[in-house]
Amino acid sequence: MNDFMIETTQLTKMYGGQKAVNCVDLHVRKGRVYGLLGRNGAGKTTIMKMILGLTPITSGEVSVFGQNIKGREKRVYPRIGAIIETPGFYPNLTGTENLEIFARLRGTAAPNAVKDALEIVGLPYKDKKLFSKYSLGMKQRLGIANAILHDPELLILDEPTNGLDPIGIAEMREFIRKLSVEHGKTILLSSHILSEIAVLADEIGIIDHGVLLEETSMAELEKKNSKYILLEVSNVPKATLILERQFGLKDYSVQGDQTLRIYDTALDMAAVNKALVMQNIAVASSQLCNDTLEDYFKKITGGEGIA
Amino acid sequence: MRILLWAECQKLRRSNILLLTAFATVFIAVFVFIGGKTTVHGVDFSESSGWYMATALTWATMFILPAMIALLGSYMICREEQDDTIKHLRLVPINETKLTAAKMIVTFVLSVLIYLLLFIITLAIEAVLHFSALSIETVLDFLKMYLIQGAGVFFAVSPIIAIVPYMKKSYWLALLLAEIYSFSALFMSMSNALKHFYPITAVFGVSGYYETTVQELACCIIALSLCGCLAAVLLVGLNHSQKGKKHEEKII
Repeated sequence: MNDFMIETTQLTKMYGGQKAVNCVDLHVRKGRVYGLLGRNGAGKTTIMKMILGLTPITSGEVSVFGQNIKGREKRVYPRIGAIIETPGFYPNLTGTENLEIFARLRGTAAPNAVKDALEIVGLPYKDKKLFSKYSLGMKQRLGIANAILHDPELLILDEPTNGLDPIGIAEMREFIRKLSVEHGKTILLSSHILSEIAVLADEIGIIDHGVLLEETSMAELEKKNSKYILLEVSNVPKATLILERQFGLKDYSVQGDQTLRIYDTALDMAAVNKALVMQNIAVASSQLCNDTLEDYFKKITGGEGIA
Repeated sequence: MRILLWAECQKLRRSNILLLTAFATVFIAVFVFIGGKTTVHGVDFSESSGWYMATALTWATMFILPAMIALLGSYMICREEQDDTIKHLRLVPINETKLTAAKMIVTFVLSVLIYLLLFIITLAIEAVLHFSALSIETVLDFLKMYLIQGAGVFFAVSPIIAIVPYMKKSYWLALLLAEIYSFSALFMSMSNALKHFYPITAVFGVSGYYETTVQELACCIIALSLCGCLAAVLLVGLNHSQKGKKHEEKII
């Protein structure tokens, strides 16, 4: 038996004649944070909705906790907490009143469940403010509070930091990390923000136009992401000639009129600088660089950056 | 079901539509009272004992309360989609048929309570106007009439409550449809044949406002039962269409 909390096989969703999600094989391991990264409209929310059974699957299979969710909702849903798109609540009720309804409907046993959930997301308990008066950030927090209310094993969070202010984003990231590390929750989160995925995820899936292009761990990604020396010189053709002849360098690329990328990071840069200067080539800078997730995303999607 | 009923009651806290319904009930009571005080050809209708309670019941049923009850019911059913809470509810998970049933039960209870409120207001005014003429028997007769009227109006408007979410329209449409529907009862009541079949006027037959034969009463009950059945069919269809939507495209 595998240890996947969520596994999809050839998951496909069609709207009209168009494929919104195309043959996605996604694997979320127990206790890990899986970041689904993609541009807006890439199909992240549709995948999450299909996993949760909120939208029909055109073809393919979804397995949650090793079983098909359909027909087992009563057993499976209490083990999942989810926030999909913008969280909807009753506008004429306060946050506490809203959560009390969902807590009772779920049969949440813990007497302080509502209070604790609100405390975790930083919203006041028994506050008189109605949901209709909440800011987008507060709505998002209430959505998260509702998702964790029943202490689920698996959290599915669709753009959880959407609408939060910078401090709120930092707090939410910290909170998600804590849920994973301290409470051992498995988390599937989607985002179009690269830095968010880079900071939070243990594993990432890159989705573009409904296709899961890559599924890898952040550790592997770091290994894959090439290190290089970025060299800014006054005369690139002459510099490449020197590098090839004197240092036998072949693994490099020209990035612009004055920029070179040298992929042999073991190269003695002091000697390179000296040789170039001796040949009257000005060296504006030389630094060791690492491909960012954004570079990788661009490379994988074959397009522009995400944001 | 008990928790679902509790949840439905909670969801109505601070509801503007509930307040509007209460206001409409008070309004119609005051309106009929003012109308009764108007002297036409030297006759002051409110001078006649029992006139006010009977007229308030008729006017409320012909002009205001069916529309308000239809609005309340449709609002309760439509709001889960409109407030986008249905996805949270599905993830609980709740049985959507039971949820709809709970909403209809709460609407039924509210319908009876609205008529009870109208009864209390009209009884209070009637007591001020003609205390000596009020007997316990009269009061109980009117109470029975008002309560049955409340229950009957719910059944009469139940297809409208159901059809609005079925058509995926705004719940305000229920107000408009029910208003036309209840106002038409004014004309239906003029026909002895039709008034026992038209649901709104059939309510008067069941409540005892109209004197009816056993056959006429049976016609009234059948008309209202058919309304209830039609609403049930529409609501079952609504739940199936939602489930169908969830499982559509499972073709490939």
